[in-house]
Amino acid sequence: MSPASKTGHDETGRGETGRGETDRLIRHLAREAGTQRDRGAFSFDRMLFLVAALSLIVAVALTFLLFGIRADLLATMRSAPFQHKVACTLALACGGFLLVRDAARPGGTGRSLLVLLPGVVLLAFGGATDASGLSVMGQSGISVPICVGAIIVLSLPALAMTIGALRMGASTRPTVAGATAGLLAGALGAAAYTVACRNDGGLFVAIWYSAAILIVATLGAAIGRRALAW
Amino acid sequence: METREHIWAEAMRAERRGETAAYERLLGEIADALRRLIRGRLARLGLGVHETEDLVQEILIGLHIKRHSWDAGRPFLPWLYAIVRYKLADAARRLRREARYRCDITLDEWSALFAAPAEDFDRTLIDVDRHVDGLPTGQREVVRALAIDGASVRATAQKLGTSEGAVRMTLHRALQRLAAAADLERAEPIRGKA
Repeated sequence: MSPASKTGHDETGRGETGRGETDRLIRHLAREAGTQRDRGAFSFDRMLFLVAALSLIVAVALTFLLFGIRADLLATMRSAPFQHKVACTLALACGGFLLVRDAARPGGTGRSLLVLLPGVVLLAFGGATDASGLSVMGQSGISVPICVGAIIVLSLPALAMTIGALRMGASTRPTVAGATAGLLAGALGAAAYTVACRNDGGLFVAIWYSAAILIVATLGAAIGRRALAW
Repeated sequence: METREHIWAEAMRAERRGETAAYERLLGEIADALRRLIRGRLARLGLGVHETEDLVQEILIGLHIKRHSWDAGRPFLPWLYAIVRYKLADAARRLRREARYRCDITLDEWSALFAAPAEDFDRTLIDVDRHVDGLPTGQREVVRALAIDGASVRATAQKLGTSEGAVRMTLHRALQRLAAAADLERAEPIRGKA
């Protein structure tokens, strides 16, 4: 009985000083009013956009560096499968961008995963209407590991940059925010890989591009959980 | 009518214009609201007012550091809600971890429990502290210096400006008082203080 009542008394006493400390802290913080004016919401969105654009450029450059420039690049770029792959991945990247932007702000608009729908539908459509007769496992036995591995590697710079950008925001759900960063980075990595990819089968793209992007998203979630906590 | 949302959002805009007083008032009002919110919840978890204040400060600092992430065109309260919720969840996780750590006894402690003679050590310490507090000032100083700080009789005498004999005498009287208090305690073990 008595130790309990004694403790209660002590804590009331400490509470008073604690409250004074809080008031001191508030006065201290208030003196910094107006010192963050240059980091408004608009500039964050613009910075995120620049980061995404830069990520794509870096990923494409890295693709050329790792896989070389194909001799038939221009012809490939005019082909339907290539354009389909670019459309899918960039549509996913746009959705990912919106999700990242939302995850950077406390109490965001609660944007749903529906923004990914255009990209997913394009991918699924390509898979469902795949009449190329090409194997799901690609042209050779190592197509799948090469493709998935390449997209993951090409996504890493984008993932690092996107998480760096998110750290300047304020994610109240670090794991989710990290996953969105991974989604954006994975989609950008996949978009870059299209210039080197020789597997044009719609089903191959639908399955293995998605798998690679999901792996990067999982990686992003794991990193974000720690890196985006504050 | 001026709503809370309206007033606070306006204060946040004032902060961006560098208006210290408005921002200070805003933080004070938020701190009060947080205290009301957290106090009840922490009490249920068995935690004290001190932890409440720590948590209030932590949330205020978080809000301050991340205040640029509020879009002036969007509502303020949902933004604040998300931050408070995030920080509370974080604190709850930490408290759970600490509680688990405190409860996690080692094998050594477990063995020591049966090896040593049964004595409620913590309870004894708390009681000693309480009884020492109840001594007259002179005796309390001597007991604290000798028994708790571990000073020598000579050093204590010098510090208090008396002779060694006087210190020994005072200690003797203090110990008698403490022994008497301990007897009383034993005879009447559930005597409440409050």
